Amino acid sequence: MDPVYELRGVTKSYGSSSTQVDAVRDVDLRIEAGEFVAIAGPSGSGKTTLLQLLGALDRPTRGEILFEGRDLASLRESELTQLRLRTIGFVFQQFNLIPTVSAAENVELALAPTRIPQDVRVRRVANLLASVGLGDRGHHLPSQLSGGEQQRVAIARALANEPDVLLADEPTGNLDTATGEEIIGVLRELNRSRGQTVVLITHDPEIAAAASRVVRMHDGFLGEERLELEIAGG
Amino acid sequence: MVFVKYMLSELRRRRGRTILTALGLAVGVGVVITVSALSAGLDDAQAKVLEPLTGVGTDMSVTRPISTSATSSSSANGGPPRLSEKELQQLRKENGDARVGFGNLKAGQKFTRTTFQATQLSFSAAYVAKIAKLADVEAAAGGLTLNLTTVSGTVPKQAAQSGQRVGPGAGPAQGGFNGPRSIKFSSLSVSGVDETRPALGSITPGQLTSGRYFAANHAREAIVNASYAKSKNLKIGSTLKISGKTYPVIGIVSTPVGGQASDIYVKLAELQELSGRVGRVNTVYVRATSAARVDAVSKRIATALPSSSVATAKTLAASVTGSLADAKNLAGKLGIALELVGLLGAVAIASLLTLSSVTKRVRELGTLKAIGWPQRLVVRQLTGEALLQGLLGGALGIALGLAGAALVTALAPALKATVGSAAGSALGVFGGPGPFGQGAVDTSSSQTVALTAHVSLGLALAAVGLAVAAGLLSGAFGGLRASRLRPADALRHID
Repeated sequence: MDPVYELRGVTKSYGSSSTQVDAVRDVDLRIEAGEFVAIAGPSGSGKTTLLQLLGALDRPTRGEILFEGRDLASLRESELTQLRLRTIGFVFQQFNLIPTVSAAENVELALAPTRIPQDVRVRRVANLLASVGLGDRGHHLPSQLSGGEQQRVAIARALANEPDVLLADEPTGNLDTATGEEIIGVLRELNRSRGQTVVLITHDPEIAAAASRVVRMHDGFLGEERLELEIAGG
Repeated sequence: MVFVKYMLSELRRRRGRTILTALGLAVGVGVVITVSALSAGLDDAQAKVLEPLTGVGTDMSVTRPISTSATSSSSANGGPPRLSEKELQQLRKENGDARVGFGNLKAGQKFTRTTFQATQLSFSAAYVAKIAKLADVEAAAGGLTLNLTTVSGTVPKQAAQSGQRVGPGAGPAQGGFNGPRSIKFSSLSVSGVDETRPALGSITPGQLTSGRYFAANHAREAIVNASYAKSKNLKIGSTLKISGKTYPVIGIVSTPVGGQASDIYVKLAELQELSGRVGRVNTVYVRATSAARVDAVSKRIATALPSSSVATAKTLAASVTGSLADAKNLAGKLGIALELVGLLGAVAIASLLTLSSVTKRVRELGTLKAIGWPQRLVVRQLTGEALLQGLLGGALGIALGLAGAALVTALAPALKATVGSAAGSALGVFGGPGPFGQGAVDTSSSQTVALTAHVSLGLALAAVGLAVAAGLLSGAFGGLRASRLRPADALRHID
């Protein structure tokens, strides 16, 4: 069985030749289905860039990113869009909710490009919000929710199209410790109960410790992989 | 459904920007509607002024101008040919007797002399039949308009001695007189109407304010102009004398500006006989088979009768002068500029604000792309918002336009229009006494019209359509620009 991700010599550079910055350098990485992988490292180490490459939000300068056996570099923009819609869910550090619509509508916006009937959408949105503990908060605007609740809405939105992979960019970065732990709990539960592949970015070793595997980044390079045992109940 | 909610909520969230954009569009739409309504109002006012010619079934009137000098403007344009000797004699005969000679009168002797003078040169009534036979001509009727000048008084001592001649051809014709006080001039205009063609002519039954139209017999009857009737205290049943013959007043007409506003109307044959112009007319009223054929008929008449001048509603419109014409010219020239500035300004404001709004939302649009929105959906979202904004601006613009039109109607001063009469306008070249002794008769008339600026539904919808199109274009352009950004670049964008 193909791994979900297989990265071979991936490099992402910005700027022109004289001012070129390599945010990700020659990265090889393999992520299997059902894994919970944490990418840890200090600020500016290239974590977010790597996650964006995994999420088909950007294309590498060099190297190959195989997603379920397909090279993302060879896909057309429309195919990448379909991948983002149906196969990859994205959670952002700053939640990135649309401030003008309710929590339920934020989740529904992820279903907008699909042809799912309205009644099915409504049921699915309600179930998703219930699954992240916000069954009764669907009609609230993001500004009426706490940071933790907003991130839960963002997770529900990311799961709306039942993606194979959930990518989370510092999902606890804007939350207090207790709320951060709650969010990590939600992700871990998704991984454990649904077999959801989760890749998250963090610079917090305690959060990273919740993952089944941690990879470390420094100056764009991927460090040694270290297999962590899942801490039961953590 | 969620799209619409999203669009509406976005417009609500950016309330200030939404209102500003809508107002920008509204001002543009409002300016276009107001200026167009003003222009339409001026058109209406002009149509009202010209209605006597255009509204009574006459499409054009044919007269016979003549060049008074070799360098006159009409002859310069390949204009009317010189008259034949026979015609010259006829015209001299008709008009040459306009002077009163005192040579054979004694000083102190009382006298009264009545003469008919033409305001236009006459021509044979055979032309009427000739015009009626032209293609696309439905009907043609002849008319004769003359000035009845009465000179009366006592022969002055000095004039009788020197044999001095006094007459309209020798001095001011109307009102003014530079001779002795004992001599009086009076002048009134008389039109001969072909009563067999009541729908075509200088007056029609529809213009009667009281009484009746001419009976189709040989009885002497007169219809008088309302203003003349008022000044002479004439009523239905009153009688008046023309050249010594008595005519009962059978009707009173109101002939607004632009028509043949004569004082008295009698049957054509009567006037021809009274004035010694049997078989002569000086105006032919023509109706084309359809309004679309007017120009073609006009050309045909000009070809068939090279010495004629054809006045249509269009040429008459060009002869409108006064504040109405000034306002119309201003609205025509400045109006288009104002409309263009209004629209371009509105489009520029809408485009700039929409683009600026899109720039502020790049991160949000990046998020939508990151969660799987295709480019076309992002463009659709922004275009939809711009469309709603355009509709809002358009609706506000209609309100502004209506208010502007109402304000124009309320504040506009009454406009004065001076029009050369249907036949008189064709005369053109007569600035003073004519070559055959006819007086310089002022055939123009003035009317004051109120300006009513009205908004047409089509125009309002077109203006709104433009506002919406402007919004749509700017929305689509902004959306396309934003949606082309890679999601990663859009997410890195700092709001």
